[in-house]
Amino acid sequence: MDITGALYILFKILIFPGLLFAVVIGLFLAGLDRKLLARMQKRVGPPLRQPLFDFLKLLGKETIVPHAANKTVYLAAPVVGFTALIVLALFIPVFGYSTFSGNGDLIVILYLLTIPAVALIVGGSSSGSPYAGIGISREMVTMMSYELPLVVVLLTVARKVGGSALCFSLGDIVSWQAENGCLAFHPAMIPALLAMLLVIPAEVGTQPFDVAEAETEICEGPLIEYSGAPLAVFKLNTAVKMFIMTALFANLFFGGIETGYVALDAVIMVAICALVTFFSMTLIHAVTARLKIEHLFKFYWTVVAGLAALSLILVWVGL
Amino acid sequence: MSYVHFPVIAVMTLFMGAFLTVVLGKHSRAVRSFLAIAASGIAFVLIAMLVKPVLIDGEIISYWMGNWNPVNGYAIGIGYEVDQLGMFFALLVVSTILLSAVYSLRYIERDSSQEFYYVLFLMLSGSVLGLVLTGDVFNMFIMIEIMTFTAVGLTAFRNTGFGSVEAAFKYLVIGSIGSSFTLFGIAILYGQCHTLNMAQLSAMLSGNHSPATLMAFALMFTGLAVKSYIVPFHTPAADAYTTAPSSISMVFSGMVNKAGVYGIIRLVYIIFRTMDIPAVQTLMVIFGAVTMFIGVTMALAQHDFKRLLAFHSISQIGYVITAVGLCTSLGLTGGLFHAMNHTLFKGLLFLCAGAVLRATGTTNLDQLGGLSKKMPATTVCFLIGAFSISGLPPFNGFASKWLVYQAAYDKAVTTGNFLYVFVTIVALIVSVMTLASFIKVTQAAFFGQLPERLKDVEEVPFLMQLPMWIMSALCVLSGVFYNFVDKYLLVPAVSAALGVSRYIDSMMGSGYAAEKCVTDIQASGVHFSYWNPMVWLALFVIVLCAACLCILTSKGSRGEILEGDGEDGKYATFFSGEKALPSHVGGSDLFWGFKTDWKGYFNIMEGLHSGVVNDYALYVVAAAAIVVVFTFMFMR
Repeated sequence: MDITGALYILFKILIFPGLLFAVVIGLFLAGLDRKLLARMQKRVGPPLRQPLFDFLKLLGKETIVPHAANKTVYLAAPVVGFTALIVLALFIPVFGYSTFSGNGDLIVILYLLTIPAVALIVGGSSSGSPYAGIGISREMVTMMSYELPLVVVLLTVARKVGGSALCFSLGDIVSWQAENGCLAFHPAMIPALLAMLLVIPAEVGTQPFDVAEAETEICEGPLIEYSGAPLAVFKLNTAVKMFIMTALFANLFFGGIETGYVALDAVIMVAICALVTFFSMTLIHAVTARLKIEHLFKFYWTVVAGLAALSLILVWVGL
Repeated sequence: MSYVHFPVIAVMTLFMGAFLTVVLGKHSRAVRSFLAIAASGIAFVLIAMLVKPVLIDGEIISYWMGNWNPVNGYAIGIGYEVDQLGMFFALLVVSTILLSAVYSLRYIERDSSQEFYYVLFLMLSGSVLGLVLTGDVFNMFIMIEIMTFTAVGLTAFRNTGFGSVEAAFKYLVIGSIGSSFTLFGIAILYGQCHTLNMAQLSAMLSGNHSPATLMAFALMFTGLAVKSYIVPFHTPAADAYTTAPSSISMVFSGMVNKAGVYGIIRLVYIIFRTMDIPAVQTLMVIFGAVTMFIGVTMALAQHDFKRLLAFHSISQIGYVITAVGLCTSLGLTGGLFHAMNHTLFKGLLFLCAGAVLRATGTTNLDQLGGLSKKMPATTVCFLIGAFSISGLPPFNGFASKWLVYQAAYDKAVTTGNFLYVFVTIVALIVSVMTLASFIKVTQAAFFGQLPERLKDVEEVPFLMQLPMWIMSALCVLSGVFYNFVDKYLLVPAVSAALGVSRYIDSMMGSGYAAEKCVTDIQASGVHFSYWNPMVWLALFVIVLCAACLCILTSKGSRGEILEGDGEDGKYATFFSGEKALPSHVGGSDLFWGFKTDWKGYFNIMEGLHSGVVNDYALYVVAAAAIVVVFTFMFMR
């Protein structure tokens, strides 16, 4: 590999569509979510840059490692989660433009998505707090809840696109949509789309699916003992996760609308991300109250998984 | 000395070691330890020296005991035949033996009657190694018998504790039923084909089944399924793994149940060559999926560290059986890879459980907590094992599970059969549940608050840590460099399982397979274009560096990392101002939200796992009946 190639890869990893892009758009979406929510509740709301300010301010605060905590794991957990998210950002193409591509993309994404959650769980667990103990238990159950519908949605997309051949590649899914139209406009995929819209808030952990962090009852659960830079990274992880999930949604269901210009594609994608953020997170957040953990589990394994399964069956019979 | 003698010598060394331990090792611990290490070391070296000729050059070693060559095209002597498939499992077996022997040195030093431990241990090792290397069905049965009875003895080894004799009794009853089925099947086969040699049987039975041989298939399948503890034959495994010493639990999950899996692969792919029949595929995949699911849900309900691991062992074998049952080369690759990874990570986890048991005296998750500060090495090893078994990238469990999912879904879309979609979904969900139950162990045993009782716990000695570190390293390496594993271990083993004519010719003289019209299956349709871990690793390092840098730069005057002891309120855990220490959430209470929703299911499962050996024997017999009926209905 020559030097320009190496620099190009480094550019992809560190700037676009990797680190910088994911962080900036993630923080933007988080700010947008807060602003829109405030407007819907007739509040003025913080400026759009507030999540960035919060992040920078937390970086300057002192980091307290509680006596009961295992220091290495406690400090490493947020960084590992963040790393996994950045790697994930590289696997999700900006429509036609991607860093890596392979046959197993969907499964890799599914598994990489679990790493930030596991990092949160292990980090919270290592802090030794009983509140964190309850929090991680709920986080894990939340994870089990949304994993079923997510898996079914991904398999549905794979079947729809691949037909009678195995197709797990996100790149192939996008190019298939460029030829055959966006999956969102195929009637059989509508239930899967709805299911995916409901999976996103649980994956990101916004109300009413934020049982794991539940500020009012268990004081942010896994994050209770965190302070300073590790807390900042965890907050950043949530923001980046918003971007990752909405971008995944955009690629899975609106993959076909690429223009050929990367910059324009990026703008369109961010617009879709913002729309999805509004519908799947802000709107639901504004009109509902937090669920109990057993209700959350039941909801995902019946209603959401049912929607996804409906789509799978429709696709399987050839619609 | 030519290497064709090595397989037999390796097996004999282990049995000789057992014999010498009885004669010489009664009084001296040093002699016993030396014999155990020497025997397992020699076996390891001998098998390792076969890697080049067998796995890389693709040679098949055939060896007739006492030079009893076939006469008039009929095998009359006992033959050892080592092909790549047998070699693959032999490598797993000797590695497990050696690591377990090293671990045992310090682990059982406080137990009484250690000479019996080593005698049984070496006999168990020899029998499993013999089982995977032999080319004779009856010899295989003998090895199964030795394996079962030494395993029973070792299960009851720590008979001062609660339940070990009971576990041994269950193992004895269920194991004997399984052995009897196998023997019955072999007898029918001998009556039909007048030979016991696997290569010759394969040539005779290929595409040439009579009702009697179908009966033999059903019975032998059931018998070997009992040995690999798939549901509903799993019941003795849970007890035996829990009560046996951890070094033995590792051997059980690392090679004893792999021996059953090996037997099934040998049976289905080589001896009967029934893998093309859709009914057999359905049978194995259903068994596999049920095993995965019941294993993992039962594991979620456990309170005991080792019992939880035992149910995971069962669950992971479900993955292997499912993948093998798909009967595609992709599936077989995934299955063998997962079998290998299971040996590594489950062995590692059992050793960690053993370390916890030795250090604290209990494996009850409700009584543990906060061990990570006292036992940092064990914690790191445990986390590596836990992440591997949960299939997080870049550990080895991910690579193999991915192959399994791909194979299952590939089968689903190419055949259009909805059963395989269902199986894929189950496999993916089981993976998350595996993660959940390991989070539970992490939280309950290693993190959280340290109970008063465990204030003086110490890390285990170096000799016990050594095997744990080796296995952790292997877990990471085989995940990152899966290309090498694939090239040097999996591809040869898969091609050996699919291309049977070389196996037959090597044993019975060239041209024998062609004479009997045996055709090979071409290993095709494998696409190994999954992620490139090297790119990944580089990436991981880059991003990790970036993140570290980001944190380091933030370390200004106010942003430093502060530590202090619990007396200072600043560093104490937040308890909302309660004076009394709130209870540590762990063990049984951790997933109550999930358990409430599944109450009905768990009640049924609890009822089924009654602990009464009569019930368990009934399951075995009933399942055998179902397999026989299924075979006759759908395989004709």
